[in-house]
Amino acid sequence: MNHTVEESMLVRYAAGQLSTAERAALEQHLAGCAECRADLALWRMVAEETGAASRAIAAPPQLAERALARIQAPSGAGRGLARAWMLLRAQALLVQREIWPANAAVMALAIVVALISGQTGVVYFVAPLLAAASLAALSGQENDPAFELTAAAPTSAWKILLARLSVVSAYNLLLALAAIGLLLAFAPPGLLGVAALGWLAPMACLSALALLLSLWLGTGNALLIAYALWIFQYLPYQHLDAWMAASFWTPAVMAWRLFWQSPQWTIAAALAALGAALWSAGRPGVHHSRQ
Amino acid sequence: MSAFLNTPSKDAWLANMAQTDRDVDLVRRMAGGDERALRELYAAYGQRMYAYALRLVEDPAVAQDVVQDALIAAWRDARKFRGEGRVVAWLLGMVHHLSFKALRRRPLPLGEELENGLPSGAAAPEELAQASQQSAWVREGLRRLSPEHRAALELVFYQGLALEEAAEVCGCPLGTLKSRLSYARQHLRGILSRQAVEDWL
Repeated sequence: MNHTVEESMLVRYAAGQLSTAERAALEQHLAGCAECRADLALWRMVAEETGAASRAIAAPPQLAERALARIQAPSGAGRGLARAWMLLRAQALLVQREIWPANAAVMALAIVVALISGQTGVVYFVAPLLAAASLAALSGQENDPAFELTAAAPTSAWKILLARLSVVSAYNLLLALAAIGLLLAFAPPGLLGVAALGWLAPMACLSALALLLSLWLGTGNALLIAYALWIFQYLPYQHLDAWMAASFWTPAVMAWRLFWQSPQWTIAAALAALGAALWSAGRPGVHHSRQ
Repeated sequence: MSAFLNTPSKDAWLANMAQTDRDVDLVRRMAGGDERALRELYAAYGQRMYAYALRLVEDPAVAQDVVQDALIAAWRDARKFRGEGRVVAWLLGMVHHLSFKALRRRPLPLGEELENGLPSGAAAPEELAQASQQSAWVREGLRRLSPEHRAALELVFYQGLALEEAAEVCGCPLGTLKSRLSYARQHLRGILSRQAVEDWL
């Protein structure tokens, strides 16, 4: 059998794409080659069926208008915002429900304590702890009722984490602001100005840190470490004299306090921790595998 | 559709060139922000774009999204169109890319594959028993091909693209396109001969 004919020639013949000369040459070959004739017959059938199926499809008339509506309508940023809003709303419903009332209750308690003791610093102390706790419990199998669903969703893990983070953080912020507002009604405003802004940066920093740690170590460990880091600055180091020299403790705790009290450092640390958390959110092996 | 290819003649060639000029002009107008040009482009090629998308994704809603996105992409990329190939191939390339993106995104691709692999009810028994049974089996065989193989057949036989153009639309080398066609032929031949044996029994 003399196969000088390439299959693509048969394809093009069936598709009607050969020039007159090519066609004549191929027909000459076909006359003596049953195999090619059989293949050509098949290709013709394919051409016919493919054509018939596609011809029967009618294009929906409104697609150009729909495309134009999307071209004209919102700018890229506007669409992005709309999508972000959808994501935020969806995630607000998926975050552990206990977070909402629990945080409100703890904050209410802090306000009561602050009012009774007359120390507005209580809110400063509690707000970051609260925020850290809710963010540490934000993601992962042990906390997330929709974990499987989220893991299978086309939206990337870091976007979902960011959405939840924003929702819960905004809620915590509102709670803390409400607390300050309430205190403002009772306490001399002179002191409050400092207190009201003082806790913002530490709160951001501590909660970002807790979130990052929770992704790698699980909620419990993350909380333990974050709380320890926060409480360390309140350490009554003067009494530790017996255990270790005050010459060591004094500068260490002072430096640590200074860190929490300087917004530029805490904000920088918060951003770094947040970046690391988002970066590691979608990575395999990160905490998701933990039971 | 590809009538000019079926009867290669000077008139058809001239008609083809006129079409190319009109298409390039449409794209240029789109680059300039003329919305009517997009409507005209859709009037001219909407059916081919939609048919191609639907044959690949096999879901009208998804195919509509694909074509809509392809039109938006054409609008945005109109400025970048250099006129190296035909406008229709450029459009189909975008439909192709978006269709496969949609196929990859499908939540349960495995279920879909399984469904495609099973004999479907599309070809009714009585239809198969009639004279057109061979084409019914070809139809059935086409349904069972993978989207990549179906794409190759669609581009060549319905869209009337040259093999080189089809390869470009698929984003693969010419050799790959040819081997996909070859595979499709073997696959269909297999189905037909199996059917012939069954008919004998």
